[in-house]
Amino acid sequence: MSGQTPVPPKAVGPPAAGGAIGDMPLEVIGQPGVPFVEIETLRAREFIPAAKEALSSLLKEQAEEKLIRPVFNWAGRNSLFPLHWGLACCAIEFAAAFGARWDAERFGVVPRSSPRQCDLLIVNGTVTWKVAHKLIALFEQMPEPKWAIAMGNCATGGGPFRTAYSVVPGVDKLIPVDIYIAGCPPRPENMLDGILQLERLIKERGE
Amino acid sequence: MGPQHPMTHGLWNLRVRIEGEVIKDVEPEMGFLHRGIEKISEDRHYNEIITLMDRTCYVAGLNWEHLFIVAAEQALHIEPPERAEYIRVLSAELQRIASHLMWYAAFCQDLGLTTPFLYGMRDRDLILDLFQSYTGARLTYEYMRVGGVRNDLPLGFTDRCRKVVDWLMDRFVEYDRLCLSSTIFNERCNGLGVLLAPEAVAYGVTGPMLRSAGSHRDIRKDRPYSVYNKLQFEVATANTADVTGRYLVRMEEMRQAVKISRQCLDWLDDNPGPVMASQLPRWLGAPYAPVGNEAYLLKRNYPTGLGFSMMEEPHGEAGAYIVNDGGEHPYRVKFRSPVLINIWAAKRYLPGYRVADIPPIMGSVDVCVGECDR
Amino acid sequence: MKTSELAASLTAKFGGRILGVDEFPGLLGRVRFDPAIATELFRTFRDDLGFVHLSMVGATDWVDHREVFYALWSDTDRVYVMLSTNLPPDAPTVASAVPIWPSANAHEREAWDLVGVRFEGHPDLRRIFMPEGYAYHPLLRSFKIHEPEDLEVKVRSD
Repeated sequence: MSGQTPVPPKAVGPPAAGGAIGDMPLEVIGQPGVPFVEIETLRAREFIPAAKEALSSLLKEQAEEKLIRPVFNWAGRNSLFPLHWGLACCAIEFAAAFGARWDAERFGVVPRSSPRQCDLLIVNGTVTWKVAHKLIALFEQMPEPKWAIAMGNCATGGGPFRTAYSVVPGVDKLIPVDIYIAGCPPRPENMLDGILQLERLIKERGE
Repeated sequence: MGPQHPMTHGLWNLRVRIEGEVIKDVEPEMGFLHRGIEKISEDRHYNEIITLMDRTCYVAGLNWEHLFIVAAEQALHIEPPERAEYIRVLSAELQRIASHLMWYAAFCQDLGLTTPFLYGMRDRDLILDLFQSYTGARLTYEYMRVGGVRNDLPLGFTDRCRKVVDWLMDRFVEYDRLCLSSTIFNERCNGLGVLLAPEAVAYGVTGPMLRSAGSHRDIRKDRPYSVYNKLQFEVATANTADVTGRYLVRMEEMRQAVKISRQCLDWLDDNPGPVMASQLPRWLGAPYAPVGNEAYLLKRNYPTGLGFSMMEEPHGEAGAYIVNDGGEHPYRVKFRSPVLINIWAAKRYLPGYRVADIPPIMGSVDVCVGECDR
Repeated sequence: MKTSELAASLTAKFGGRILGVDEFPGLLGRVRFDPAIATELFRTFRDDLGFVHLSMVGATDWVDHREVFYALWSDTDRVYVMLSTNLPPDAPTVASAVPIWPSANAHEREAWDLVGVRFEGHPDLRRIFMPEGYAYHPLLRSFKIHEPEDLEVKVRSD
C-alpha cells in the first residue's frame, strides 16, 4: 500500500470562492493567498515554492498552469481517499467494493478514518436531519480540494424514504455534490464507475 | 465514539465515560438513521412495504422480509403454499449465513485481522450471486410477497446452491483455524464483554448474545414458524458469555444454517408446485394503490386482523406486529429490533473494560443500525 | 396453559380490572387491562406466570385513545402473550415496566418519542430517535407526512 500520500493542495491561489465551503475562516488557516496546507503536507509546502522558482526561471508564468497544477491534479484524482463512513445499505456495497472481488484499492482509493486525511466524501445511505449537521461538520473538516459523491437513491434525492419526516431529501441540500450514483443500492461496479467519472471530472475541471 | 467511527459500522454514537483507560459508564445514542419506516408504511400497500423491509436491516434483508410477510399474512388471513414456505426458509437461512459472514468480516477487521475481511466478503459474494439468480438483486431483493414469493427458483439452482453450501462448510473450518489459533484474537476476545444469562434475559438481550451465555432459546425451535417444525437442526450455544462465545455461536449457526439449507434443497427438488397463493384479494395484486376517486371504491370491505410474528434473525429476536383495519394499507406496523435492545444492554457488559476493548465487544453485538433505528 | 385458564387466573386475582382475554392465534392470548393495575399485572406475569422476557413495548394512536401493547415470552411455557391497555389521549400515562423488566427502557423511550405516551417511573424518559427538542410525536395520526418542501440545492461555484 502506498501509505501516507499527502493530499496535494492547489498550487497557488485562495481556496475555491463561493458556496458554503468558501466561507472558511482564512485567518485560522493561513494568510490569504497562501496555499491551504495541512500538517502532513509540510514537505509540499517547501516543495512548491522551490519547484515554482526553479521552473519559473525556465518557463515563466506558464509553469504553474502547464506543469505543476496538472501534476497535482493527476496525483490527486488517482488517489482519492474517501472517508470511512457508512450510513445505510449503500455502505454495504461500499464495503463490498473494497473486498477482493471488486477491488477498489486498485484505483488508489483507500478509506481513511479521519476526515482530515480525506478528500472524498461518499455519502452512502439515507441522510437524516439528526445527522445532517455532523455530516456538514465532517465535510468542512476535510481539506481542500475535496469532492463529494452522493451514492444511492437516498443520498441523491431521499430515495424510498423521501416522504419520511426525518429524512433529508437528498444530500445536495447540505453539501455540494459532484457525482450522483443512482441505484438502490448501486452495485459495487456502479460505485467504481462513479469514482472513475469523478476522476474524469477532476481532470476536466483541472483542479 | 461518534457516528463517524470505524468501530460503529453504521450511524450510532456511543458516549463513554472513562477514568484513565477504564470505562465507567456508557450511553448509546441512536436515531441517526431513523427513517420513519413505521410511519411511511401506514401509507403503503403491503407489497410495497416489502421494499422497505430490505432496507430496514440491510445485511439480513430476506429475514426481515420473511418476518413482515408472516405477520402480514396472519393479519390478512392468507396462507402461502408450502413450496413458497420452503423457498422462504431457504432464503432466510442463506441470508443468515451471509449476514454472519458480513459480521465475521467486519468483526475481524475491527480486531486488526484483515484476511478474514477479504475471505468473508468473498464468500458472502457467492451467496449474493445465488440470491441474484433467483431474486434479481444482491442486497435489496423485494422478493417475498403476501401469499408467497414473487417467482420460483430457476432451473439448476439447487445444484448450484449445494455446491456453494459445500464449499462454505469447508471454509468454516478454515475460518476457525484462522481465528481461534490467532493469539491476537484470543487475547482480545477471551473473557470480554461478559453478560451472564439471567442478566441477559432481564435486559431483553436475544440471539447469539444470549445463546453465548448458555441459554438454549432459539425461536426457530421454541415457537417454530413457517416450516421450521419439519426441519432438523440444533441450537448453537456456548457457555462462556464473552466475545469468543458469540463468535463460536455464530460459526455454529452458520453450520446449522447449511444443514437446514440442504434439507430445504432436497425438499424443493422433490416437490414442485405453485409459489403464490391462488386466492388473493384483487387489490393485493395491484402494484400501486390507486389515487383519486378509485381509492374509496376499494376501501373497507376486507376482514380486519392482527398479525404477530417473532423470528430468529441473525442479530436476535425480531418481531413484527401489524394492525390491519380493513383497508389496503396497514393501520400500524411495529417492529421489534433486536439490535436496539442488545446495544442498550451495553450498560451492563461494557463498564469495567478498557477503551480498546470496545471494538471487539460492540463488534460481537453485530450492530446493524438500519433495523435499530428503523 | 390455555387462554381460558389464563383468563380464569387473572380475573380471580384482578377482578374487573382485566377488561378481557381474547384469543390470538399463535399466542397464549391478548389480555386487555386497565392501566391502573399495570405494575401488579406485570409482577404477576413475571413472577407467578414465568414470563421473564419482555419482547416488545409499543404504542398505537387510535385517535380517540392510545393503546400500549406489550409482548411477553415465557421460556418455560414457550409461548408469547400480549398485553394491551388503552389510555385517554389527553393524559396518556401508564406505569413503566422498567422496574420489572429492565429491557423496557429503550422500548418505552421509543414509544414516548414516536407516540407521546408517558411512562411513570421510567429512569430517563427522553427522545431516542428524533433529535432533542423536536416538537412532534411523529406516529400520531394527526402528524401528516408530506412531500418535502423545496430546499435550495448547494452548488459549487467554480
